[in-house]
Amino acid sequence: MLNRIKIERAELNITQEDLAKKIGVSRQTINSIEKSRYVPSTILALKISDLFGKSVNEIFLLEETD
Amino acid sequence: MASKAHDDEYNRIYRILNFRLPHGTKRLGLMGVILIFLVLLGSKFMGTPTLLQKDVLRSLILFFLLLASLSKDELEDEYNRQIRYHSFVIAFVVAVAYSILIPLIAIVLDLAITKIMGDGSVNFYEISAFEVLFSMLGIQLLSFETLKRLGRA
Repeated sequence: MLNRIKIERAELNITQEDLAKKIGVSRQTINSIEKSRYVPSTILALKISDLFGKSVNEIFLLEETD
Repeated sequence: MASKAHDDEYNRIYRILNFRLPHGTKRLGLMGVILIFLVLLGSKFMGTPTLLQKDVLRSLILFFLLLASLSKDELEDEYNRQIRYHSFVIAFVVAVAYSILIPLIAIVLDLAITKIMGDGSVNFYEISAFEVLFSMLGIQLLSFETLKRLGRA
């Protein structure tokens, strides 16, 4: 699963650390999600997309292999 | 009615699955393990410990490893939890494989050696519960830290 977290972060000019603090996870968790190493739970995906003011589908994108 | 009972049972199991000790107990557990290893090492020079002393010290090592294994990370989130579950799976599989393979390797080596030496007697190497549990807890702790390091570059 791909995601646009890095792009959205850049638009808001916030660091991984800032984003992590806002949604209550570690910076390393955000890093793993950004690099598509970890697929977040629905709750976390909703929190992230909510923070960017977008729908989950706009932040997380399915790949052909998913 | 049945659904309520199922819900209660599910909640109980879920609470047990999510049981974690405070982060500080990890350090306490690891310090305890090191301390007991030092005591065991020291006892080699101060005279061999009795079987009872050895058993008590081994149990204490397992207890401290369990403390470290069950303790939370500084910031516990869903990614940590997933890594922890993976590390428990790895530890279980490796410990079972270890328990099966080590006696087999010992028999093969024993057969090879007795064949060469012409002794003819073969001993079955029995793995102790301590060995299995120690390797299981040790592998869990190591694989948890390794997975964390690999996923969090």
